[in-house]
Amino acid sequence: MLVQIAWRNIWRNKTRSFVVIGSIVIGLWASVFILAFAWGLYKNNIDESVNRQLSHIQIHHPEFTNQQESKYVIKNSDSILSILQKEDLVQAASARSITQGMITSPTTVAGVTIYGISPKAEIKQIGLNENLIEGDYFASGKGNEIFIGEKLTKKLKIKLRSKVVVTFTDIHSNIVSAAFRVGGIYKSKNLSLDEVNVYVQKQSLDKLLDLQPSESNELAILLKDEAALESYKSGVQQLVPSGKVEDWKDLSPHLEMVIESFNLYTYIITGIILLALTFGIVNTMLMSVLERIRELGMLMAIGFNKRKIFSMIMLETFFLTLIGCPLGLFIGWLSILILGTYGINIAIFSEGLASYGFSSIIYPELDNQIYWIVAIMCLITALLSAIYPAYRALQLNPAESIRKI
Amino acid sequence: MGKTIIDAHNVSKTYKETMVPVKALQDVHLHIEEGEFVALVGPSGSGKSTLLNMIGGLDEPTSGTVFVDGVEITKLSENKMIDFRLQNIGFVFQSFNLIPVLTSRENIGFVLQLQKVPKKDREKRVLELLREVGLEEKVNSRPGELSGGQQQRVAVARALASKPKIILADEPTANLDSKSAGNLMDIMAKLNQEEKITFLFSTHDQRVIEKARRVITLVDGKVDSDVVQTPT
Repeated sequence: MLVQIAWRNIWRNKTRSFVVIGSIVIGLWASVFILAFAWGLYKNNIDESVNRQLSHIQIHHPEFTNQQESKYVIKNSDSILSILQKEDLVQAASARSITQGMITSPTTVAGVTIYGISPKAEIKQIGLNENLIEGDYFASGKGNEIFIGEKLTKKLKIKLRSKVVVTFTDIHSNIVSAAFRVGGIYKSKNLSLDEVNVYVQKQSLDKLLDLQPSESNELAILLKDEAALESYKSGVQQLVPSGKVEDWKDLSPHLEMVIESFNLYTYIITGIILLALTFGIVNTMLMSVLERIRELGMLMAIGFNKRKIFSMIMLETFFLTLIGCPLGLFIGWLSILILGTYGINIAIFSEGLASYGFSSIIYPELDNQIYWIVAIMCLITALLSAIYPAYRALQLNPAESIRKI
Repeated sequence: MGKTIIDAHNVSKTYKETMVPVKALQDVHLHIEEGEFVALVGPSGSGKSTLLNMIGGLDEPTSGTVFVDGVEITKLSENKMIDFRLQNIGFVFQSFNLIPVLTSRENIGFVLQLQKVPKKDREKRVLELLREVGLEEKVNSRPGELSGGQQQRVAVARALASKPKIILADEPTANLDSKSAGNLMDIMAKLNQEEKITFLFSTHDQRVIEKARRVITLVDGKVDSDVVQTPT
């Protein structure tokens, strides 16, 4: 009977109930959508970083990570690479030579990180070929081609086919200079990296550094399924016992922090939206109690105890939430599904976002677990909001309530 | 002499919420026997509703004691009082008597459900009561679909549902036209006669007063007169 009365009570003032349900729907939709948008933004950044820059696992000489000097190499990297490339779990693996140096144009000079790469192997990893806006991907077959980010070309005031000189130290600490011709200009989703990373053929750089063909500074492994990362990482360590094996979380701790902080954002954003909802529910339920004072007094007079009065008010709020909650989540899910498929173009901000490695098209996405978290938070908020109005109802004196006009 | 059903001793009630304390009842003594049909009359503010509230345990006296069917209700805890009321006292108010979202059947059944009466017995009793107040055809009507008189008759049926020893009615006819008021009083008098339920009702209405067998007049929170009469 209590359930029946509470259910019917919420439909006594349909407009008011729909306003509360509407607030819950909008609140939940806003919560899940903002979270999905934020996660879409971050995930894109993480995917870009992992797939195009870091790969899932990298192997270096233990000293290379600290010193960044080319003399710290992985011996027999060619044979290790061929083993890795045959692994079922591996999508792609490549060897890189890396050195820090200066790039000089006719007008200016800039500090750069020079990557010696194997063009074919890197198609699935760095994906330089996809980001080229001018030139062809190592098409000439010449060893003096260099690929430079658009931002750096502007800084150096050079263009395609321009000649540049790259200076660095080889593994014996001799200063080496070499002339390169700009074979392609690329623009990735991370403009800050575009300004400092330049790419040449590994073979060419190895010669200049005086590295053996079997030596590399970095082995990068992209897995087919990230879920296998932890177990595979320890397997790689056994394969290269003298190397320092790191996954992308070790290499870029800020990305892991982004994921962890996202969980915190989930609670903060949802909390703020639900706080606003709290005021709506408190206000509505309080109005609902105050306009029923006589009726509540009568209920107490005929045998309804305070526990039942309290339960009735809480049940009314629970029902309103029970209607609003799934509706809000469904609309949220639907909008995420649609916009997650077609994407949201935020090109107007893309220049600023790209500086931080974000894409200009965001695909909202949300883990199913977050829907549950938001729903539970909403339900708890609604019930907590109803406590004060229900408490006010408990304070009523039946004799005084019945006399109220 | 019959069994004493209501026994109030030196009942006083002072409301201190206002700047000047209001003495609603002053040393009221009241003794009502089982099966009586008593009208409580007096001008507005004379303490009629307050006295009914004290007897019904809806409010506590500032001083004095109230016994209902031998139980000193002024000493009962809140929860025990609610339970006592549920089992022994029926209420009929001036208005807002019924739960607006429930039908006549549900309003009456509600009290029986609180008493944990099985569904089958509940249904039977509800129909009996609606028949007694002449509203069996309104079994599925909500209060909003009933006239004022019909609502009060459903309220009387609900008050009777728990088979109480006393029914307290606070100006039950105040919002009714004379025909409905007369009809309601006839039903109450019949139930009093046939089922020996004690009725104590407050009223201003002279035609209602004439139906009572005993008339207690309150003035300024004190019993001014207590007269036994032959009802018309």
